[in-house]
Amino acid sequence: MKEVVEGSHAVSEAVRLARVQVMSAYPITPQTHIVEALSEYCAQGRMTGRFICVESEHSAMAAVIGAASGGARTFTATSSHGLALMHELLHWSSAARLPIVMAEVNRALGPGWNIWMDQTDSLAQRDTGWIQLYCEDGQEALDTTLLAFRLAESASLPVMVVLDAFFLSHTYEPVDIPDQTAVDRFLPPYRPKVHLDTREPFALSQMAPPGCYMEMRHDIQAGMRRVPDLYTAAENGFEEIFGRRYGMLEAYRCEDAEIILAMAGTAVSTSREVVDDLRDRGEKVGLLKIRMFRPFPTDLLRHSVSNAQKIAVLDRNFCFGLGGIFAQEIRAALYHGEWRPSVFSYISGMGGRDVTPEIIKEVYGLAKAADRPETESVWVGLDPATCPVCRTA
Amino acid sequence: MTYDPEIMTETPMRISRSNISTEINKTGSWRFVRPGYDEKTAPCSSVCPAGEDIARIEMLVGQGMFPAAWETILRENPFPAVCGRVCFHPCEGVCNRGQMDSPVGIHHLERVIGDMAIENAYAVPHPFYGDEVEANRRATHGKNIAIAGAGPAGLSAAYFLARLGHACDVFDADSEPGGVLRWGIPWYRLPEDTLKAEISRIVDMGVNIYCRKPVTGEFLAGAATSYDAVFLGCGHGRSLHMGIPGADKVQDGLKYLHDIRRGKNTRTGGTAAVIGGGNTAVDVARSLIRLGVDTVIVYRRRRQDMPAFEHEIEMALAEGVRLMELVTPVRIDGDDDRLSLTLQQMRITDMETAGGRCRVVPDGGRTRILKVDRAYSAIGAEPLESWSRPPEQQPDLLKMSHCTLSTHPVSRLPLVFGGDLTVPVKSVTDAVASGKQAAMMLDTLFREGKTGIPERIAQCQVGGGPALSMEIYLSGSRKFRNPTIVPYTAINTDYFPPADRAVPPMTSPSERRASFEEIEGGYSPETAVKEAARCFNCGICNDCDNCRLYCPEVAIHIDGTRCINLDYCKGCGICVVECPRNAMSLEEEKS
Repeated sequence: MKEVVEGSHAVSEAVRLARVQVMSAYPITPQTHIVEALSEYCAQGRMTGRFICVESEHSAMAAVIGAASGGARTFTATSSHGLALMHELLHWSSAARLPIVMAEVNRALGPGWNIWMDQTDSLAQRDTGWIQLYCEDGQEALDTTLLAFRLAESASLPVMVVLDAFFLSHTYEPVDIPDQTAVDRFLPPYRPKVHLDTREPFALSQMAPPGCYMEMRHDIQAGMRRVPDLYTAAENGFEEIFGRRYGMLEAYRCEDAEIILAMAGTAVSTSREVVDDLRDRGEKVGLLKIRMFRPFPTDLLRHSVSNAQKIAVLDRNFCFGLGGIFAQEIRAALYHGEWRPSVFSYISGMGGRDVTPEIIKEVYGLAKAADRPETESVWVGLDPATCPVCRTA
Repeated sequence: MTYDPEIMTETPMRISRSNISTEINKTGSWRFVRPGYDEKTAPCSSVCPAGEDIARIEMLVGQGMFPAAWETILRENPFPAVCGRVCFHPCEGVCNRGQMDSPVGIHHLERVIGDMAIENAYAVPHPFYGDEVEANRRATHGKNIAIAGAGPAGLSAAYFLARLGHACDVFDADSEPGGVLRWGIPWYRLPEDTLKAEISRIVDMGVNIYCRKPVTGEFLAGAATSYDAVFLGCGHGRSLHMGIPGADKVQDGLKYLHDIRRGKNTRTGGTAAVIGGGNTAVDVARSLIRLGVDTVIVYRRRRQDMPAFEHEIEMALAEGVRLMELVTPVRIDGDDDRLSLTLQQMRITDMETAGGRCRVVPDGGRTRILKVDRAYSAIGAEPLESWSRPPEQQPDLLKMSHCTLSTHPVSRLPLVFGGDLTVPVKSVTDAVASGKQAAMMLDTLFREGKTGIPERIAQCQVGGGPALSMEIYLSGSRKFRNPTIVPYTAINTDYFPPADRAVPPMTSPSERRASFEEIEGGYSPETAVKEAARCFNCGICNDCDNCRLYCPEVAIHIDGTRCINLDYCKGCGICVVECPRNAMSLEEEKS
């Protein structure tokens, strides 16, 4: 049934429908609405799962690690500094092969203190062994959360479902909320491959000496390598029941495009409009929506851009000393490919600043005009005036 | 639909997992602080004159174990049902729970325990602590003790001495035992049956009580032939004389209470003045009100200076007793039917004296007249016989907190003075404390000689305070309790949800005015269990098992009692923090 719900609550609904058994979280804007709704569902008896209140995000992740080790389906959510605080346990949960699902609402890290949208928080966790899926709208947030449980449980790896702060988390849209029987068909109860059991006690995750540590790491990568297939299998099942699918990447009007815009998150929706507009004016432009960031879908990417001359990547994040993170990843993925378009890196829309159609058009114009990319990322939309709240030191 | 995709079946998933134990990793080597079970002293028990183990008593009640709770009280106090009613319960004033919401109803709980024991005829355990062999050995070395006065001090002395294996003969001038409990405290505060039941338990233990047989100077002189020691708990037998013109027209308040309890002097109606501000004055006034007498208390200082318990004053005023402050009678005129009291107005000169009361002097010539039908004095009392007061100066005198040990000037028979004449606070529970201290002093005197007494008494202090524990004296497990008093800040209040203090039923002031029936009702057993569960059980282990459950190294196991395996305890201190009641401590490792 379609309902007008907030992006956050689209995630909450999915978690409820997934019959999650243990949730634990610590509130942080802009994530709070997700777990607020979940705690209410538990209090109202709409969910039978346990909601564990904790004093920090580190403990929230520790609590779901414990629950998942015991064989429970688990969920948590966080943002920004909360995610940074979890960092240690993000490594733990993937290496322990626990299928934890987390909603991560992209928010800037301070200082300057900023609660708005920025992708650096989640991208900074790229080496932790978590699968990362970025969402464009409310429906996708709900669907991706359901997919995430199935993907996590089949790959024995944790999944981060990433949403833009406010642009998605706090925006109300019509969302089709599936009924429980349909979800139950898609997502049967979790059957852990290994879990702690008091009837047959054993110890988990203890010392791994040099003789086996490397092999265990290699196995995690073996699992990651399987994710595209597992994801496709899950999407097949999802489409069969719900009639929707998203893919790991979405190539929009890319077939004959000379310049392809690439990005993740809600800016994709705006870019879709801009691409249509430019196409109407005869520009050969396409759009690549990056949905899966880890594992990085290298093969699919190479295939998707095989006709383009240039790729203009719009990053709402930054890796200091290098550049936009999506741009780096795309460059690296294409380097050994048969077809190597030039990758232009643009930075915009950080800390909650709007990415307007004008900005996107400017990015397109800059990429079109340039012969080859600059060494450094190009920042678009910087205001030369001094902001009243941030005087130059 | 296949949910578990075939894809993963050939994908390896090695995770570190072991079916053998991790015992090889002795995490105890990381430790620099060491946790330990360290039972401490609850603030309530440290201020209880009788040194009752209140934290444990409430723990047992909370578990519904009324007989065990009663036995725990009996170790320190033979009068649970009496003290549950008449004690001024200083315990509740220092109750840590009071800092969270309101103090535990300790005195109500003591009362219900005492009442249930009477109602269900709980058997007095034998022996109380230690084993049968020790108890029998004590009995064969028992001495004969004479006790003067069957009041709370004398009866307590007899009780504890009997517990220690000594034979006791109690002598009292009155027709029935109980002293102030029997004759001084009105029925509405202490019903007669309750008192009788607790006294008969002492008689059943083999204590002989001889009534209408006052101890005399002569008896004392010859006592050495039959007894090894005498305890003197004679109390204040004679009321103080007012020493003003017409003082003989005033009736003795103490005697009036005594007469009422005998069923005499139940004249009703009219008006009366009660002179004084202590508990006796309030008891007299409240008795008069019950007989339909319009009563006014005349007191020379202010209400807040009255030595009577505040709670009792409040009840008296609610029942209709009036209070005249800052006046004192200077002469009394009139005949038996109508008295005219000339009252001198008093003036405050010093707000706070050392005793906590204001100092007053006559306010010039300001006087007023109070006309009443009768007047009663309750301005204090003194001992009946000069020899019942402990000597002030004597070379071999040993003064302790609640008793004084001396010897008979001629026979050299050991004499212990106790009760109201030696206690710091004149209360029933202090009288019990006095009897207990006397028993410890005499027992130590017989076993080790006089020089051993101060040290032995010091060892029995509860929380380093004046209260003494007979359980500690007899080497019960309480001996190992750390004297440190548990502060509120040491309680992990997360484990205690807010809960209102249970209030027992009470008759209304108008009902109270009409009868001598007991005012306050008791808790039901169900209420008692609930109220006891409010107790933090400060400093003592109630087997909640938090320490064991929260230990991240699983280093705590139960082998009869809880043990910490120091090979694995890494000293994280979680057990100590998660102990709700501060029954554990963390100590730095000595290298």
